[in-house]
Amino acid sequence: MASPAPPAPPPALTLPPSQFARLQPHAYLLAHLSPPASSNQLSIRANGRAPSQFRPTSANTGSLTHTNGSAVVRVGDTTAVCGVRAELLPTTDIASWSVSHASASSSSSSSSSSPAAPKSNSSSNSADAEESQIQDLNLLVPNLSLSTGCAPGFVPGAPPSALAQSLSYQILALLHSTRLVRAEDLRVWYEGPSFTGEEGGRMDVDVDVDAEGERDENSAATKKEIKAFWVLYIDIMIVSLAGNPFDAAWAAVLAALRDTKLPRAWWDVDNEMVVCSDVVSEARKLTLRGLPVASSFCVFEADAAAGWRAVIVPDADEEREIEDTAKRGMLRRWILADPDGYEEGLSQERVCLVVDKEVVGGEGKTVIVKMEKNGGWAVDSRELKQLLDVAAARWESLKQILEQC
Amino acid sequence: MVAPSATLSTLNRADGSASYQCPSTGSNILGSVNAPVELPGRRDALKPEDATIEVFVKPGTAPAGVGERYVEGIIKTLLGRVILGREKGYPRRGVVITLAVIGGESVGRGDPYLVLLPALLHTALLALLSASVPLSMTFSATVLAVDASGQIRREPSAEDAATAQSVHVLAFSSKGHLLLNESQGSFDFDTWEKVRQRASAICHGTQLVSADGDVAMVEDVDGRPLEGTLRETVEDQVYRDYNWKINAA
Amino acid sequence: MSSPLVLLPGDEVPSEYLPASSSAPLRLGAGLRLLSQPHPTTTSSSSTQAPSHVLTATQAGILSTDTKRNALSILSFPHRRYIPTANDLVIAQIHHSSPDYFHCMITPQAPHAVLGQLSFEGATKKTRPMLKQGDLVYARVLSIGLGAGAEVELACVNPATGRAEPGGLGPLNGGMVFDISTGMASRLMRASSSTGEQQDGVAGLVVLDELGKKLEKAGGFEIAIGRNGKVWVDCSNSGDVAVKATVAIGRCLTTIDEHDLNPADQKKLVSRVLRELKIEV
Repeated sequence: MASPAPPAPPPALTLPPSQFARLQPHAYLLAHLSPPASSNQLSIRANGRAPSQFRPTSANTGSLTHTNGSAVVRVGDTTAVCGVRAELLPTTDIASWSVSHASASSSSSSSSSSPAAPKSNSSSNSADAEESQIQDLNLLVPNLSLSTGCAPGFVPGAPPSALAQSLSYQILALLHSTRLVRAEDLRVWYEGPSFTGEEGGRMDVDVDVDAEGERDENSAATKKEIKAFWVLYIDIMIVSLAGNPFDAAWAAVLAALRDTKLPRAWWDVDNEMVVCSDVVSEARKLTLRGLPVASSFCVFEADAAAGWRAVIVPDADEEREIEDTAKRGMLRRWILADPDGYEEGLSQERVCLVVDKEVVGGEGKTVIVKMEKNGGWAVDSRELKQLLDVAAARWESLKQILEQC
Repeated sequence: MVAPSATLSTLNRADGSASYQCPSTGSNILGSVNAPVELPGRRDALKPEDATIEVFVKPGTAPAGVGERYVEGIIKTLLGRVILGREKGYPRRGVVITLAVIGGESVGRGDPYLVLLPALLHTALLALLSASVPLSMTFSATVLAVDASGQIRREPSAEDAATAQSVHVLAFSSKGHLLLNESQGSFDFDTWEKVRQRASAICHGTQLVSADGDVAMVEDVDGRPLEGTLRETVEDQVYRDYNWKINAA
Repeated sequence: MSSPLVLLPGDEVPSEYLPASSSAPLRLGAGLRLLSQPHPTTTSSSSTQAPSHVLTATQAGILSTDTKRNALSILSFPHRRYIPTANDLVIAQIHHSSPDYFHCMITPQAPHAVLGQLSFEGATKKTRPMLKQGDLVYARVLSIGLGAGAEVELACVNPATGRAEPGGLGPLNGGMVFDISTGMASRLMRASSSTGEQQDGVAGLVVLDELGKKLEKAGGFEIAIGRNGKVWVDCSNSGDVAVKATVAIGRCLTTIDEHDLNPADQKKLVSRVLRELKIEV
């Protein structure tokens, strides 16, 4: 952390900056952010960063050898370790499989039941339907733990804190809503001996088959069936917590999934079980959809006593007016990117943006995947729009970091 | 659009309670508030100058899991800004809010909880009002789903939300601030702006200022603004409880 | 004021509802607070330079104005748990006693309140009342502590004068206690403390007057109302019908509380209950 510039101390009080920071945290940060106009200093956070500056981030993949994929991501002093472990889930172990999916999958790949035929025509729709397998069968199991001693207050033997549970859920929800992992990557197929070599043209044939209803081709198609799924256990451990755990945890998940290799697995007909190859070169990587990157922000209010003093809360329109006039004079609040633990303790309002970029016609287009704000009324659409640009810039930088590791 | 229906003070033993019927999911949510109460055994964890807010969400059919923890966190953060925890008698004490989801479609593991979130928020607010917990303002919330064609759909059912492109929950304070936004799914900023406008109209109605400066509530496609529905629920209860006073006056 | 004004938290009190300005300062009761503009924004031309003040509600309820005391408060939902405030009159039950204090229960949810062994009228080490577990006292809330674990202190005597003020404070002997809602309790207090002969009763309650008239012949009754939602009734002067009369009064009060009866119905109820219990009036 860069050494903070000491704030102009009152004449009677001589304290080293570190003690002042502990005694008067709010005043300490405020003094940094709004230096006296005479001092000609820039508005800077107590940790030496500009308001929209993220902490230096580093990522390292493949550090855990017993996992299928792993990553260590360090954002400032917050460090997250993520390991992905793949386990096979034979379809015979899925209670509802034979009832629901076996029939469903055969009907979608063959036209033996004619009413289902239109469904397989639109490829995007059927892909969506199959994609829900990840969610229905719980093929992605993230679990986040805040390890003992990662921050003061985390004692050994305590049950998972509400924060850890809530972060686990956020990661799970984000994995589902971004559809980051393709269901196809997690399937272990078995193809009947009569149906080898034709696979490339199968989809095209299928459409024709639907139209003409050639029975013998269909029976060959039904031979291809799912024998097992890979279940990815994604374990995240926050080794050191210095604010903003979600960004670090999500970046670690992303890096670990990019690193994950699944061994080649096939159905052994003789032993009636799924076997895996131990040849490293045969293992394949996951192909992820996009690269959603999370950026979190907190809002620091200049008025420390806002909660104490009974003041009129201006309504939304007045608020905007005040904000406009404040632009020229004193700022009333700052939106701080990637807050550290110190800043998180001083703010109530949080914003979290997860963005991805799509290349549409050679031009990068920012897509929001998740947008959260809670705990206050400072951030509205105008602020969110500005934050979106910050998040987009963060996407670029994190993309580089992840690609280099 | 079927308006939600709610009743206040349904439970006898709790300090405040409310039951809320959510029309889109068919769930009934029962909320109770006890405040201020002593929270035993955690005196070191209590804030010395503020009330400690605890929220518990109990799903209808399953034990509470990580999803509930997450929603509890959201509700707690939002209410933390609305409850005046520094009023007399509240610091170092607890405001305990319990929300039980009764009936309706159950929410599976990892499913977005967003569809139920506005109903949970409204129930919590009404129960707080019924417990006379001091609040700085009231709020109203709604959930909107945007489908692949860009159509905005108000208060989707759980299935609609699952197939939608993006789902948004927005809460506005009675003074028009955006208090909460939870958006999932992929969308761009322009879409969100439209969603925000629509949500604002649902919560507050479209306001027209007539020539003499009066603000008129206009009923449009969204029917009565939610804020009005909530206010009416409270007024009904107040009139019922103060029947004697009103008749005597 | 034909229709009462219902306010929700955050609503401003319209200026026309404020009592006409008099020399006395405006008193703010529960559920209201005074807000001031955070800092006069000098740059914005629209706002006036003088710091503006606004009264807003923090609880939902009816705005009630008291022109005599120049006071303003919000009447919130009446079915609340009792929260002690200083100077409230409560009926407390002794739970146990320690050398210096009686520990008594005001509400079952709250921690015990303390009542000094000597805070009774004329009590000395020798003459202090010997109260047992379960005995009742009519006491005033002397102080409420601050923060968690703070103790509520009760007294049956005014510490300044050494007298039981207002009268009637002290141990309650005999009689019976009925539970009512806290809202009903405060209505009853207003109704019983008023002296003026009003046709409609005070706070919409005629039940006490009605009962008093009807039971006068039988010997009358004593009543003590605690803000904590308890009513103590004693008819020991009534002789044979003492128990019946006590039950009748209790039944009338709890029924009116439950069903929100209007004055006419209250009179009917009193007659009906007395008839059912075969009390001669």
